[in-house]
Amino acid sequence: MKKTILAAALALALPAAAQQRTPIGHLMDNSGPTSDVGVPYGQGVADTLAWANANNRGRPMNVLGFDYGYQAPRAVSQYQAWSRDRVAAIQGWGTVDTEALVRFVTRDRIPYISGSYSAALTDAGGRSGRPGIEAAPYNFFYGPSYSDALRAMLIWARDDWRARGQAGAPRYVHMGANHPYPNSPKEAGETLARELGFEVLPAIQFALTPGDYTAQCLTLRSGGAHYAYLGNTAGSNISVLRACQTAGVQVQFLGNVWGMDENAMKAAGVAANGVVFPVRTSAVWGQQAPGMANVQAISRVSDTAGTAYRPVHYLAGVCSAMLMVEAMESAAENAGAVTGERIRNGFYARQNWVPRGFEGVCAPSNFTPTDHRGTMSVPLFRARVTGDTTAGSVAELVAAGTIRLEPVATITLDRRADWLGW
Amino acid sequence: MSLAPAGEFHPSYRADMTIFPTKNSRRALMLGIFLLCFAPLVLGRYELGLLINIGFMGIAALGLNILVGFTGQISIGHAAFFGVGAFLSAYLHERFHIPVILCIPLAGLGTAVVGLIFGLPAARLKGLYLAIATLAAQFILEDFFARAQWFTGGVAGRMTEAVELFGVKFDREESYFYVVLAFTIIMFVMAANLMRTRDGRALIAVRDHYLSAEVMGINLAYYRTLSFAISSFYAGIAGALYAHYLFFVSVEAFNILFSIQFLAMVIIGGLGSVMGSLMGAAFMVLMPEGVQALADLLAGSWIDRTLKLGTSISFLREMAIGAAIILFLVFEPDGLAHRWKQIKAYWKLYPFSH
Repeated sequence: MKKTILAAALALALPAAAQQRTPIGHLMDNSGPTSDVGVPYGQGVADTLAWANANNRGRPMNVLGFDYGYQAPRAVSQYQAWSRDRVAAIQGWGTVDTEALVRFVTRDRIPYISGSYSAALTDAGGRSGRPGIEAAPYNFFYGPSYSDALRAMLIWARDDWRARGQAGAPRYVHMGANHPYPNSPKEAGETLARELGFEVLPAIQFALTPGDYTAQCLTLRSGGAHYAYLGNTAGSNISVLRACQTAGVQVQFLGNVWGMDENAMKAAGVAANGVVFPVRTSAVWGQQAPGMANVQAISRVSDTAGTAYRPVHYLAGVCSAMLMVEAMESAAENAGAVTGERIRNGFYARQNWVPRGFEGVCAPSNFTPTDHRGTMSVPLFRARVTGDTTAGSVAELVAAGTIRLEPVATITLDRRADWLGW
Repeated sequence: MSLAPAGEFHPSYRADMTIFPTKNSRRALMLGIFLLCFAPLVLGRYELGLLINIGFMGIAALGLNILVGFTGQISIGHAAFFGVGAFLSAYLHERFHIPVILCIPLAGLGTAVVGLIFGLPAARLKGLYLAIATLAAQFILEDFFARAQWFTGGVAGRMTEAVELFGVKFDREESYFYVVLAFTIIMFVMAANLMRTRDGRALIAVRDHYLSAEVMGINLAYYRTLSFAISSFYAGIAGALYAHYLFFVSVEAFNILFSIQFLAMVIIGGLGSVMGSLMGAAFMVLMPEGVQALADLLAGSWIDRTLKLGTSISFLREMAIGAAIILFLVFEPDGLAHRWKQIKAYWKLYPFSH
């Protein structure tokens, strides 16, 4: 009898020991308006953290996942629950919630790696002096900011306009929902567009959810736009692309980093053909790179058969999660405590930072205590859809070459001080 | 005497209108409140967070119950009024530096004025037509929140400050719990007393038969709009309490789904029952948490794997709310308050219930 009690006590004590793992919050949108891209990204982050735990990368973590349905208030209340659980870092998601939490994570010193690339999060030292921009010393993200990505696309668009030998000034228009996420690069994009000699048309609004956007397409046509930025996520962008195809509107669309992926190309079909958008990783699924073996191992965490096709957002999730894992590794060096402050300093420990074992997949990042623009280099790709996409799965369509991501150009922007936090 | 006589037996009007039918029921409530005061000492912050939620949701649900359950009107724009209170309280504090504790009742009054304006159609409309009119209020206010940068911070939302009293900041669950508890008690006592006054009886008369009420000399238009104002006042107070709990208000929270949730609380709790409003709020706050816990247990289990649920598990929470409303309408149309009465009657009459 005593033995059983002892065994039971032991069994109870073991999970308690497992709870020594560092708690990490993981905020996902699996059910809200941005779940189209939130699901693959969140899966990438979750799989990577599970893989890191299994392969002793960084410190053992206890990952607390939460689906907040893209509702900022839910994210804020969840954050408050996590801050009580003393999470060491958080993998976040949307722009509204991330920006709302800036003050909280700064106060509580919790590094926050967001899926939002809003430029407002890059001003780590609060030195930009831009109105309404607060110092965000604990906010990080992997990839170019929304504003920088749009700037790169505009520079490409100007070159494209010249290369095609077109006369006159090209017309540019910003499209997206009235929501902090699509609004984030609006002003930056329109300002640079004017500097580059574009004629800027009044912005066109469409909701974050799929719908009938024929009216928006007709506005595009009547305005005579040549280049249009799609600020939303894939789901609603597809609606615009299809509506514009039906209406016969010929515009060069520039997609936001979350605005296009392989799933969206399949859903939109040939309507997505030609869309130019930034890809954050140096390689996409199915390409060869030294780090790809690890990405495939990570993919098998949630897909034991190893047959799933992983869109670009999954790979971006892998890289974002690995940055945090390695920053925690740095924090734990010399038997240090894994505190939020030390994890943040871990982000500054490396130059041209590519997580170990992910060479050729993750693009190099550089963070400094005053500037959290991880990269100024923006690789642009063009979506190529050459046939019927209803027949097969994404993997089959990619294998058959019906869906292709075609490299267009890599634009490297100057790290201009006046672009910090904007 | 602590026992109530069988049947409805009231020798005076005073006895008929009493809140506590027996001395023990009064003592039980006092004891309950007394015990609740010790909750922050024994409960964790998660549980306290739930109690705080039940508190302000209960206040808002009570407001809607006054409108729907007591006056027989309908509103599917309650969340918008809740939002007005939340933004107004944050705005008053930031713009005019009024102490937060005063901003909360002021926000309630301001919301009552807004509710009065949007309640004007109620003077003439009823039923489905009124439902559509309040739906318009929901959309007009929601759009206003998204655009009025100066008032709401636009789509990016607005930060709020903690309640501060005599240098003490109520910025943690342990302390804010008392603020919400105090407001909840005040608001519920006010509602219970309102129903014992001439105005309260007039509201009920309007609900039971508007023509008879008018014949008895009750001004229909006046009481219908008044009901809207009172209901909005409650929503405003609740919204302000919410704002200073979360420290962040954004337009997204106050959508039509939230309005429907308030209606669900009132239906589940019991139409025309003060206590039922709190029960309904408690149910609607606790159920999603329960379903979430269930979903977390389910994730990765054999059921998940065989049914290939994966990320669909996230939708369980949303589906459960819909299912709860349907099931309550079918099996418990009188709400939790009615069931509670029956349980009490069962024990009171045990073992001779018939």
